[in-house]
Amino acid sequence: MASFIIRRILIIIPMMFIVSFICFFLTELQPGDFVSQYLENPRISPEQIELIKERLGLDQPAMTRYLMWLKQIFTKGDFGYSFAFKRPVIDLIWERMGWTISIALSTILFQWIVAVPLGIFSALHPYKMWDYILTFIAFIGISIPNFFFALVLMYLTNSSGGLFSSQFIGEPLTWAKFYDLLQHVWLPIAVIGLSGLAGLMRVMRGNMLDMLGAPFVNSLRARGLPEKKVRKHVIKNALNPMISIAGMELPNIFSGTVITAIVLNLPTMGPFFYTALLNHDQYLVMTFLMFIAFITQIGNLLADILLAVLDPRIRMS
Amino acid sequence: MKKLVCLFTLVFFAISLMAAPAVVDELLTPEQPKLGGALTLSVTSSPQSFNFYGTLDGVAYTIAGQFLNGLVEMHPVTNALQPALAESWEVSADNKEVTFYLRDVKWSDGEPFTADDVIFTFENFLLNKFAEGNSIARFTINGEVVKFEKVNDKTLKAHLPAPYGPFFTVLSHASIYPSHILKDKIDESDPGSVNELWTTDTPLNEIVGTGPFVLDQYVVDQKVTLRKNEHYWKVDRWGNQLPYFDQLEYLVVKDAQVQSAKFRSGEIDYMTIEAVDFPVLKQMELDGGPFIVYKAQPTNPTPSPIHITFNFDAKNEELAEVFRLKNFRAAMEYALDRERIIEEVFNTLAVLGGVPVLPANKAFYNPAIEELRRGFEPDKAAAMLDEMGLVDQNGDGWRDFESGNTLEFVLISSTYQAYQDTAYIFSESLKAIGVKCELQIMDSSLRAQKALSGDFEACLWAFGNQPDPQLRKAIWSPGYSLYYCHFATMDPETKEPYADLRNMTDWEKQIHYAFEIGQTAMDPRERKVQYGIWQELYAEYVPFLYVCKGMDLMGVSKTLGNFHQTDNGSLAYAVYTMFKK
Repeated sequence: MASFIIRRILIIIPMMFIVSFICFFLTELQPGDFVSQYLENPRISPEQIELIKERLGLDQPAMTRYLMWLKQIFTKGDFGYSFAFKRPVIDLIWERMGWTISIALSTILFQWIVAVPLGIFSALHPYKMWDYILTFIAFIGISIPNFFFALVLMYLTNSSGGLFSSQFIGEPLTWAKFYDLLQHVWLPIAVIGLSGLAGLMRVMRGNMLDMLGAPFVNSLRARGLPEKKVRKHVIKNALNPMISIAGMELPNIFSGTVITAIVLNLPTMGPFFYTALLNHDQYLVMTFLMFIAFITQIGNLLADILLAVLDPRIRMS
Repeated sequence: MKKLVCLFTLVFFAISLMAAPAVVDELLTPEQPKLGGALTLSVTSSPQSFNFYGTLDGVAYTIAGQFLNGLVEMHPVTNALQPALAESWEVSADNKEVTFYLRDVKWSDGEPFTADDVIFTFENFLLNKFAEGNSIARFTINGEVVKFEKVNDKTLKAHLPAPYGPFFTVLSHASIYPSHILKDKIDESDPGSVNELWTTDTPLNEIVGTGPFVLDQYVVDQKVTLRKNEHYWKVDRWGNQLPYFDQLEYLVVKDAQVQSAKFRSGEIDYMTIEAVDFPVLKQMELDGGPFIVYKAQPTNPTPSPIHITFNFDAKNEELAEVFRLKNFRAAMEYALDRERIIEEVFNTLAVLGGVPVLPANKAFYNPAIEELRRGFEPDKAAAMLDEMGLVDQNGDGWRDFESGNTLEFVLISSTYQAYQDTAYIFSESLKAIGVKCELQIMDSSLRAQKALSGDFEACLWAFGNQPDPQLRKAIWSPGYSLYYCHFATMDPETKEPYADLRNMTDWEKQIHYAFEIGQTAMDPRERKVQYGIWQELYAEYVPFLYVCKGMDLMGVSKTLGNFHQTDNGSLAYAVYTMFKK
C-alpha cells in the first residue's frame, strides 16, 4: 500500500510538467497578449506599449518565458506576478480560496447527502412511480444549463445573488450575518449541486440495480440473511464506483461553474479566472490551471486510497 | 500705526481667502440636503489596484477618482475648467509659464498639502515612463516635457516648452499623490516599482487623498467602502461641509442583469442603463417604481460613438484606389441608414450627434457639420457609384470594377451586439445598391490588432469622446498611431507624421495643421476655429463615417436628492453633493 501511494505521488511530478507545458502553449495560442487591450487606448502611445511589454517580459519568446517561469517556481517558489494586479499570483488566488473551497465542499456534501439516498431509494423501488419521478427530475438536472437554472431561481425567489446582503459585507460575524448567509448560500449550492447531484443519483441507482442482481446477493439471501443486512452489503458494494467519481468532483466544481458564479455574483475563483483569461494575465491563468491539475490528481489519489481501504479486493491486487 | 493695521487687515484677509473652502454652485445643489447615510453604487469587477498611475483599469480609476484630486478639475456637468487644489493661477504674457497658487488643503490624514506633493507626483508618476498609467504624451509639447518648479510651499510654476492650449484640460486628469506617505516607499533604483504601490493588499490607512472620500474597507470581489474625508475642501452654499454622505460603497457586480436586479430592488442607488433595458425600466417607473429613468443628451465619453472606415492602404490595390476617392466614401455615407440603426439597434435612444465632438460640447462643437452630413439616400449612392464606373458588368447583381472584378470588401467588427447589428444593417443597405460587403465578427482585441496593423479592408469601431479634441489627436489627426484608415501618412520609425507630410492628401494636411495650431493656441476662440475646420473637413471628406452616439441613460433611486436634468437635457449630479432624502 505504501509503495502504491509513493508511486502515485511520484507520478504527479512528471504529470505536472506535462500539464504546465500544454497549458502554457495553449494560453500562447490565444490571439493577442496582455497589452493588446491597450492598443485602442489613445492615452497609451505605441512606445509605452512596447515599454510595458518589455517590463512584463512579453517581448521574450514563449519558450524563454516558460523556462523562466519554471525557474522562478523551483528556485524561489514564485509562481509569477499578475500583470493586471501587480501582485504575486499566489496571493491573489489565496485571497479567493476561502469562499471557493467553502462553496465547493458544501456543494459536494449537498450532492452526496441527497444523491446517494435518493439513488438507493430509486433502485429499491425500480420502475415505480417515485422512481420515474426522480428519474425525470434527474434528467432535468442533467440537461438544464446551470447558469440558466440560476437565472430562473433568482427570478422566482427575487434574489440578486451574492453571499450576503450588501449591509453585511465586511461586517464581523454575528448571528444576523450568519442567518443572512444561510438565506443566500442555498442558491449557489442548489444550482451548482443540481447537475452533479442528478448524475450521481443515476450512477448510484445503476450500481445498486447491478448489485441487487449480482450472484453474491442471491447467495446471501439463500443463506437466510435478513433483507436489512443484505441491503447493507449491496450498498457498500454499490458505493465503490462512486468514490472514483468523487475524485473528479472537486476540479469540476472549481472550474466548471464560471458562468454560473458570474450570474450568481459569487466571490470565487471562477469569475476571477475568467477575467484573467480574457485579459491574457498569463501567469495568473497558468497558476490557476496548475492548481486545478494538482487537485485533480490529489483527488484521484485520495479516491484510489479510499477505494483500497474500503475494498479488500483492490487492496489485495 | 494706521498703516500697520491696514497691512495686518490685508494679510489677514489674504490668509482667510487662502483658507476659504471652495463653494460648489447651485447647479449641483438645487436642494437643501440631509446629512449622513450611505450611497451605494456598483462596479463590474474588482479594482486591479488603488494606484491611479500604476494601472489602466477603469474600475480603479472610478474609485481613485473619489479620493484624489488634481490642481484643476472639470465641472461635473458643464465640463468647464475650474480651480481645485490650485486655488488660482497666472499665465505669463508669452503663454509659456503658469504660476499656480495652491489652496490651503489637508490630506485625509491631516498633513498639509504642499507644492512638494505636486513636484513629487509629476516626477515619480505622471512623467515617469515606467509608470503604467503615466501621462508623458499629454505633457509633451514639440518633443519636450513640461517642467514644474517649486517657488514655495504654496506656489509652483509650470514651464511649458511652447504655448499649449489643452494644458489645463490635461492637468485636470493629473491626480496629485501625497509625497509624505509615498516618498520613502519608492525604490530609487527601479522607477517601475511605482506600479507596485497602493496595490489592493495595501493597508487602507496608508492610502490618503484630498478627495471627498477616503478608502475604508475592501472585501475582495464583493465591496469597496469609502468614508467621508473630514478634511475635504469643498462646502455647499449653505456652508455645510461636503460630502453629504458618510459612506460611499461600491458593490462588485459582474453580471449586467444582476446589477439591474440589484438596482430594481433598491440595493444600488443609481446606475447607467443599457438601451435594451430602458423600455422595461421606464414602464416600471411609470407603474410607480421606486426610481426614475432618465434619458439625457450625451455628455460623457461613453458609450463610444460608432464609426465605419475604409482602409486607404488596403492590400487589394483596386479597393484601396476607390477607398481613397472622396465620392466613394460620400456614396457610402448616402447608403448608411442611421435612422434605422438608431431605431433598431439603440431602441431610438441615440442621437446623430456631432461625433467626434458632441453637440453638448459648446467649447468645440461646430454645428456647420449638420448641413454637411449626408442623409440616407440609396438612389443617390447608386448614382454616384454608377458615375465612378462601378457598375454590374456580368449581370450577377454585384457591381464590378472596370477590370471586371467584383466590388467586394470585408467589414470587420467586434462581437459587441450593437456593433454587430450596425454592421449587419450597413451591409444590407450596401447589398441593396449592389455592393458586396462581407462581415467578419471577431474578438475585440483581435479586431484592434487587425485594424492597427492595417490588415483590413473596412472596419467598424468606436472611440470615446473627449471634451478637448486635442486629447484624441492620436486617433483623428493624420499620421498618428490610431489614424488607422491611412497608415501611409505615419512614419513607422517615429510613429508620427513624416516631416514632409508625405502621403497626405491636401485635406489631411489641413487637418494636421488645424490640430497643430489648436494645440499651441491658448485663446479658446482660436482653438474652436481650428477644431471647427477639422470637423468640417471630416464631414466633407468622410475618412470616418460616424453612425450615432448612444444617449446618457441613467436609473436613479427616488430617494436621491440633488440629481436632476438640466434645461438643456443633460444630467446634473456629483457624488459629493447627492444625499438621501
